[in-house]
Amino acid sequence: MKVILSLTIIFTAIALTSTNTPCDHGALDIPDKWIDMVDSCYDQMKNQVQEELKASIQYLAMGAHFSKDTVNRPGFAKFFFNSASEERQHALKLISYLLMRGKLTTVSDLIKKNIVPKITIWHDGLRALKDALELEGNVTQKIQNVIKVCETPLRADEKKFNDYHLVDYLTGEFLEEQYKGQQELAGKVSNLEKMKLTHKQLGEFMFDKKLLEE
Amino acid sequence: MKVLCVFVSLLAAAFAVNNGVCYKGIEEFCSHDKKEINPEKCNSKYGGINKALPHLQEYVKNHIVLNFEYMLMSTYFGNYQKSREGFEKLFMDLSNSKWEKAIDLIKHITKRGGEMDFTKMRANIPNNNNEVYELYEINSLAKALEIEKDMAEAAYHIHGQASERSKDFHDPEIVSYIENEFIHKDSETIRKLSGHVSDLTKLLDSPDSSLALYVFDDYLNKVSIV
Repeated sequence: MKVILSLTIIFTAIALTSTNTPCDHGALDIPDKWIDMVDSCYDQMKNQVQEELKASIQYLAMGAHFSKDTVNRPGFAKFFFNSASEERQHALKLISYLLMRGKLTTVSDLIKKNIVPKITIWHDGLRALKDALELEGNVTQKIQNVIKVCETPLRADEKKFNDYHLVDYLTGEFLEEQYKGQQELAGKVSNLEKMKLTHKQLGEFMFDKKLLEE
Repeated sequence: MKVLCVFVSLLAAAFAVNNGVCYKGIEEFCSHDKKEINPEKCNSKYGGINKALPHLQEYVKNHIVLNFEYMLMSTYFGNYQKSREGFEKLFMDLSNSKWEKAIDLIKHITKRGGEMDFTKMRANIPNNNNEVYELYEINSLAKALEIEKDMAEAAYHIHGQASERSKDFHDPEIVSYIENEFIHKDSETIRKLSGHVSDLTKLLDSPDSSLALYVFDDYLNKVSIV
């Protein structure tokens, strides 16, 4: 009798959870063989989303600093605000990719929202450009780590799955953009540093106006 | 005559508050062969910016956080199980708008001599895994409606304080900025969201609720929220 009772309870519970409400249309039966991305690679990718967002907020802080009335470097501010939006776009591109691969279905742990920039004040524009170049170098290195893990998953319990497409995407699109951006930044640092050898304030002033035209 | 005297001295006092420090500093800089000048003396602060600043900074923080939250809601609707392109677009549009507004607010704060305090990003942001971003379609719209109303109220608060006719608070420039860039647009978005919730509630109250959602999602893909 007890068994029957408990069985009835279990069945009602199942029946209740699978009942369609106006808002919920029950569990789906979608084949999942196509979802082939392995967990360690997925974790790295999720981490990279956060890294791109962190870089975005760091650039936002740079933009904010150079917008100040007593700093007054609108060209630098514009450059860094643009960089902030670019980094945010990178995060969105990674998210879109994960959605395409079917791996990303739950989002609650995808983004840690309380991102505080590490630095909020810079001595001058040159210092900020150097920091930006360093930041980009770190991001590049982290992308390379993602590539490594996605080529040969680290965890012992996982199948050895070389994620060719993701690796190609990261190499072809992301690294390409990183290297181009880094060259651009390094060039700017070089130009500004040379000017500032003899014309410290004037060099930075002129460079700022130049950045505003870009 | 007395009145004129009082008026003149009041005027002089008013100028002294703002202009004395900068000009005097520059005079010293020019006459005494002083190498350094403190640029802080010649800042762009006037009016009620000091009182408005903490609220504006908080407002920026909320924009940045909401940019992330809408991003998550959009992402959830973009997964293959939900597969709701219209909802994905709606929340991404909201996310983009919050991000752009955050940048615009920072620019405006600095225009008025203030600065963004990023340490505010640390406080009061719940980061728990309670899955509040994984919502049913109608729930997500209801949530967005409430968020947008809260943000509109926050804009009213800044506006209200800057409208006070007392010396440290009154700031018509901030009032006008908040009105033009936020208050009118907020009302548009809130009205649209309210309309969406109203429509979808009616549509879902039928045996064809899953078809209704499909049709409504398709509709959302064609209209704009911001």
